[in-house]
Amino acid sequence: MKHTLEMKNIVKRFPGVLANNNVNFTIQAGEIHALLGENGAGKSTLMQILYGFHAMDSGEILIDGEPVHLGSPKDAIALGIGMVHQEFMLVRRFSVVENTVLGLREGGGPLLDLPRASKKLKDLSNRHGLAFDPAAEVGSLPIGVQQRVEIMKLLYRDARLLILDEPTGVLTPQEKDQLFAVLRKLREDGRSVVLVTHKLAEIMEIADRVTVMRDGQAVAMRPIGSTSEQELTRLMVGREVNLRAEKSGQKPGGPILQIENLRVRDETGHEKVRGVSLEVHSGEILGIAGVDGNGQSELAEAILHLREIRSGRVLLNGADVTGLSVAQHRTMGISYVPADRRHIGSVTEMSVADNAILGLQRKYTRGIFRGIREARESALGLVARFGIRTAGIDFAAGKLSGGNLQKLILGREIMRGAAALVVEQPTRGLDVGAVEAVWGELLRARQEGKAILLISTELEELLNLADRIAVMYEGRIMGVVDAAGASVEEIGLMMAGITAGGAPAAGSVNMEAHPGEIL
Amino acid sequence: MLVTSFLFLSYGASPLQAYFALFHEPFGTLRGFGYSLVRTSPLALIALGTIVSWRSGFAYLGFEGCFVIGASATAWLALLAAPGARVGPIPFSLFLPLAILLGFIAGGVWAGLVGLVRARLGGNEVLISLMSNYVAIFILQYLVSGPMRAPGSLPETRPLPRTTWLPFVLPGTRAHAGILIAIAAAALVWMLLQKMPLGYELIVTGFNAAAARYAGIDVGRRILLAAFFAGGLGGLAGMVEVLGSQHRLMDGISGGVGFVGIVVALLARLNPVAVIPTALLYGGMTVGADAMQRRADIPSSITFILQSLAVLLVLAFDALRYYKINFAVFSRRTPPPAAEEVSE
Repeated sequence: MKHTLEMKNIVKRFPGVLANNNVNFTIQAGEIHALLGENGAGKSTLMQILYGFHAMDSGEILIDGEPVHLGSPKDAIALGIGMVHQEFMLVRRFSVVENTVLGLREGGGPLLDLPRASKKLKDLSNRHGLAFDPAAEVGSLPIGVQQRVEIMKLLYRDARLLILDEPTGVLTPQEKDQLFAVLRKLREDGRSVVLVTHKLAEIMEIADRVTVMRDGQAVAMRPIGSTSEQELTRLMVGREVNLRAEKSGQKPGGPILQIENLRVRDETGHEKVRGVSLEVHSGEILGIAGVDGNGQSELAEAILHLREIRSGRVLLNGADVTGLSVAQHRTMGISYVPADRRHIGSVTEMSVADNAILGLQRKYTRGIFRGIREARESALGLVARFGIRTAGIDFAAGKLSGGNLQKLILGREIMRGAAALVVEQPTRGLDVGAVEAVWGELLRARQEGKAILLISTELEELLNLADRIAVMYEGRIMGVVDAAGASVEEIGLMMAGITAGGAPAAGSVNMEAHPGEIL
Repeated sequence: MLVTSFLFLSYGASPLQAYFALFHEPFGTLRGFGYSLVRTSPLALIALGTIVSWRSGFAYLGFEGCFVIGASATAWLALLAAPGARVGPIPFSLFLPLAILLGFIAGGVWAGLVGLVRARLGGNEVLISLMSNYVAIFILQYLVSGPMRAPGSLPETRPLPRTTWLPFVLPGTRAHAGILIAIAAAALVWMLLQKMPLGYELIVTGFNAAAARYAGIDVGRRILLAAFFAGGLGGLAGMVEVLGSQHRLMDGISGGVGFVGIVVALLARLNPVAVIPTALLYGGMTVGADAMQRRADIPSSITFILQSLAVLLVLAFDALRYYKINFAVFSRRTPPPAAEEVSE
């Protein structure tokens, strides 16, 4: 069989790190090849070499047996290699077609021929099943559609090999399914796709073959048919990982956090939380399941009063805290781990030590001054207790990996000794090792008797950690089930807005979830 | 500096001689150094105000306004304290704290208004603060040509009574106690930002307002406070100028110092410790420019070119550093590791 592209004995050294150590990687025409590895395993480096972003120290890249030189992304594009980055490279105020032709020179004339480009784009999108309006402004499109625009940009340049870096991290399950349908079409078309990811389930679902990287080396290549999630995890982490969290049997105590008939609106005035009532007991993890954007974030923010509450009450230990300020919520004992750990949970420009006291700056004081020594001691304690890997507590928090930053935030929120903990998407984008650590810490906090409200879109996480699972859909709680006896099907139906009775819930035909979507 | 040398040459003067004049007068002679210190104090105070507001995420540009408002308020107080005036002479030990307080509050309230608009109504502080400068300058013009005008042809007040002048600190020079006020202010700003919980909250607010809100910090109130402090420092600059140097209030008293102070803050890279030396260098160069004009017969405006170039170079420094690193990537193939690789 003919290889379309071979990377042979790639070596890439960064100061102090051997990022790629003799890596071999081959991609055939018409295959979806997954590149699996934890953060820092070297998969991004390898792909950046392939995209001409980094120069390799040694090794060669062959296309159909011919050595090629990739000195810049321009060379890569000329050879039909395209990349969709995790952060989209789109001009939000431009239309789809303007974004597509950006950087291209077609037709030779000094003027843009946008109608012609639109037509070509339409043809391409029909052929590949990527539906969108070429004239729509990119910034108004949902994330999933923006991603399609990125893919479209590559197809417009007739890329034969598409590199997708963590493409599903920002997508809802439905958007992910749509993306996979597109990728299958591309495969039928004879194009190759490299899927850089650490999500095993997705690899098993769509890839033909998988190359596993660990510590800069390609440790294994397997056809999907002859491997399993267990084997891939072992290859990726280098040891057996037990992602079945062992929950101790323990009886929850009295109610700590009570939410009564809460109603909350978002910035555009849409009601996102529509009469939610919940009760979280001490020593219990109450999970909230649901597809992203069904009001979970608004609920969490409203509990802390980061968002205005239209009506309803929040009670902590029986005391009404509804109208109190965020700072008062925190001193009264509610901690919050937000989903966006880089923009809300931490100040990335500041040091680890300064981030360790975020929200506690009025606690570590000496008279009118900051108790800098005490704060540093507590930061050191946090780093040690939660196994945060950092070059030191004066290191900028933004340079920590996602997992370590999350451990820092989670640790800070747990250590402040709050009775109730609201945790949102604690493991989004983390690799297996970090997920294991975060789960362990949450279970430890549960054992210490904290009341934990765990909001997650990962059903597996909820089934592993939660005592009870409430399913949220369109701002309402569709039902609460015991995690022990819960079936994925039942929860999945409720996530889609279908109650146990079989009838869709009121409001399920509501389109306001994606007001900007033009399809 | 090299670039400016060519400008000197174009005037047929020796660059070395010109530079000598530029730096010898302000830093090599006692009298010149005194003048440099006089220029330094208001520049430093405004730079400190810039640091407080900008590091709190409040892009305030209204220091010209704070300056003239602070200057007007102190001049009013000083004229009240003149012998024979309604209040009569006030002992200087009482007058000085009063003047500091009044100058600070006047400037603070002036900037605080802009802060209020931003915090409560979400207005754009850049535009509003720029516009507020003109309002303040017109208020000053009204005052010196109307209610506070001294008999005479010029739009200015009567000279302030000697008892209200800031004492001179270097014998034989015009250097006055304003420089001590500026140094004290620099120390206080440093303490606020580095050592106090409030400063921590201001900096968090400046970096990331969403994270600040999450941490229980009242972002609106912090911005208001930052605006008040910043304006207060701008007002103090006006006070120092009026009581230390001009000894009267007149139209055009600010002379653009409210903007030059922002430049000094940028040159000091928003670091309060670096403000005094930077302001001294900048103020000194202004003094030296006049000397240079006299000796080497070079227009003093050349100095402004030199100063502007210095600002551009400092502002470009980040970009230059960025390019240097990238340059290393391609030449030596040893770029710094990406963050991900370091930490994992």
